[in-house]
Amino acid sequence: MIIGNFRIELEPRLTSPKWLYAAVPAGSLVFAFIVGGVFLALTGHSPIGTYSSLISHGYTSTKGITNTLGLATPLICTGLAAAFAFRMNLFNIGEEGQMYLGMIGSAWAGIALAGHLPHVLAVPTVLIVGAAAGALWVLLPAVLRAKLGTSEIVSTLLLNYVALNLVNYFIFGSRGFFRDPTTSFPQGRGVEETARFHSFGTSNTYPTVIIAVLLAVALYWFMKRSNFGYETSVFADSPNTARYAGMNSTKLTLSVLLFSGALAGLAGAMYVVGPAGKVDPGLLQIGLGYAGIVVAALARYNFFAVVLTAILFAGLRVGGASLQISSNPVPIAIAVVLQGSVLLFALGGEIFRRNRLRIRRVQQVSVAS
Amino acid sequence: MKMKHLKGIALAAAAVVGLAACGGSSSSTDTTAAAGGDYSNLKVAVVYIGVPGDAGYTYQHDQGIAELEAELGITVTRLENIPEGAESAATFDQLAAEGYNLIFGTSFGYMDPMLEVSAKYPNVCFEHATGYKTSTNMGTYFGAAEEARYLSGIAAGAASKTGKLGYVAAFPIPEVVRGLNAFTLGARSVNPKATVQVAWTSTWFDPAKEKEAAQSLLQAGADVLGMHQDSTATGEAAMEAGGKWVGYNSDTKAGDFPDTWLTAPIWDWGPYYIKAAKSFAAGTCDVSQFYGNMADGTVKLGTFGSSVTAETQDLIAEKAAAIIDGSFAPFTGPIKDNTGKEVIAAGVVAPLGDLLGMQYLVEGVIGEIPKS
Repeated sequence: MIIGNFRIELEPRLTSPKWLYAAVPAGSLVFAFIVGGVFLALTGHSPIGTYSSLISHGYTSTKGITNTLGLATPLICTGLAAAFAFRMNLFNIGEEGQMYLGMIGSAWAGIALAGHLPHVLAVPTVLIVGAAAGALWVLLPAVLRAKLGTSEIVSTLLLNYVALNLVNYFIFGSRGFFRDPTTSFPQGRGVEETARFHSFGTSNTYPTVIIAVLLAVALYWFMKRSNFGYETSVFADSPNTARYAGMNSTKLTLSVLLFSGALAGLAGAMYVVGPAGKVDPGLLQIGLGYAGIVVAALARYNFFAVVLTAILFAGLRVGGASLQISSNPVPIAIAVVLQGSVLLFALGGEIFRRNRLRIRRVQQVSVAS
Repeated sequence: MKMKHLKGIALAAAAVVGLAACGGSSSSTDTTAAAGGDYSNLKVAVVYIGVPGDAGYTYQHDQGIAELEAELGITVTRLENIPEGAESAATFDQLAAEGYNLIFGTSFGYMDPMLEVSAKYPNVCFEHATGYKTSTNMGTYFGAAEEARYLSGIAAGAASKTGKLGYVAAFPIPEVVRGLNAFTLGARSVNPKATVQVAWTSTWFDPAKEKEAAQSLLQAGADVLGMHQDSTATGEAAMEAGGKWVGYNSDTKAGDFPDTWLTAPIWDWGPYYIKAAKSFAAGTCDVSQFYGNMADGTVKLGTFGSSVTAETQDLIAEKAAAIIDGSFAPFTGPIKDNTGKEVIAAGVVAPLGDLLGMQYLVEGVIGEIPKS
């Protein structure tokens, strides 16, 4: 691009200095808030006031941060699910559907099994069954990918719609196991009380948030220390090298995708043992599976960063919706624009980490075409 | 139930003008006093599943909220696009924590979250539309749309040349089934051989999907459509195919469908919102299960399109009068379901409890609902 006497170019960096990994996302965030601020000012809202309200409703007030952590809990799991698979260049974008299956599976366990189990085993069982159901939902795409090389992008995505209709069928389209038998209104059947966590105090945060964070730590450790972690990173860099070294690519592909599905299923299970306590079609409306992919991408597939990004993202949602609680309410559409610009700039900022901006004086002035 | 804020009202009577602003009131104290009450202690919020721009369900609620604001001289905080389900508890919690003491939620899926939050805030009054659970500080509100559905069915039955009607419907749940049945009974009251084919969309608001369902019904030979959805997409499909249609929720877009619009069952929530707010301001959270109807004005029939003949309009007016004075109810036996089984015996008027749990399709409906 030529502007006046200067030629502006992007030059790929061979290596990115460490500080850029922090500076680029931080800079992107600042830039997004500046752009959003112009937008706010143009629509008659004080940028500073709006941002301080957003931060207080989303992060710094007790109510705000506990609401945010509640929403972030399943989002951390779907984010980890996406990060785990994407690291190995396996693009599981079916977290949404796997999460629904996790909700269905854990609700089944919470209704059918929990009553027969001692209290201490009820919640873990429900979580494990939910994770297993999520893994099961990705089994077919995983086998197709491992054995036939079929694109997992398409197959996992399409299964999201099947899962969505399955939930709708269980709650609205049929009167079977998952539906509350005590009323003709379409509602999920509640799980046993023993299969649920109590929230912390009167907040909307559940102990599952601790499990989600511990999972990120465990994943980090596992990928660093285990054979499996080593093999998957070799495979991600060069499948041929991995094969040459005698690694079993079929097994690796299968296990990565199944584990990713299990993590997404766990998100749905945490929704059941936490706030929902049943198959709740409300989960279909908040897109936590797709949001998990965005979170993973923003976190550059780093498990610790997934935790932070999920909290950031959830806070933007909680705080954004709360901006409507004001004497000069910020319409939800503008709150969504704010969220979108943060995401867009954060992802777009990557270009400046990978490339160097070069501005050179042009010798001969030519007309820009 | 007496609320703590009674004391507050007494205090506010002697309070400085500045307090009115703290109470969320945008009007001067004089106006509210002139209206016969002091509402400065009311802090009202409403939570919408969609946006008022839907020209349907949320739009009509928003009209009602605007009536409430005008009548009481207060400002109501509106939260739009709040998804249903367990995560909505955070929204209601936040509102109550910020001092809102009268909170309306307009979608079924808010029920359990609202109930849960209502237990945490015993001094806050919660009112939930379309649900069935109540508590010491949570009531419900809804209404007999089936009355106007029946009347709109008359318009549809009279307008159909082929006797084949279609109905785009969200979910096979009692509320929707009740409306579909009332529509069918109305249509068959003037066109005894009429049939109504139903297409389920599994969504309340998805214009593309609604339109697709409407088109499939038109292609199957339907020339008049009814619908139970939040958007006007059914009307667009009908207009493109040269068919007629009956709207729902609102008639604000009737003018966009000049030749194809018949009429619509519509909601007027204003009187209810005003009643609930006044009751709470007087110290009582209305925890009843309000079920409005045509007689109290909550349910109405919308404006008629040009293709509804004067004769049909007269017939509808006659039936409407009978519904309002109580001499006629749409679900009066004998009524058979669409498998031929009698569901309401001759001369019997189905009680409200049966209507609220309705799980059969009446004779003339082509379609199925899940069996229990």
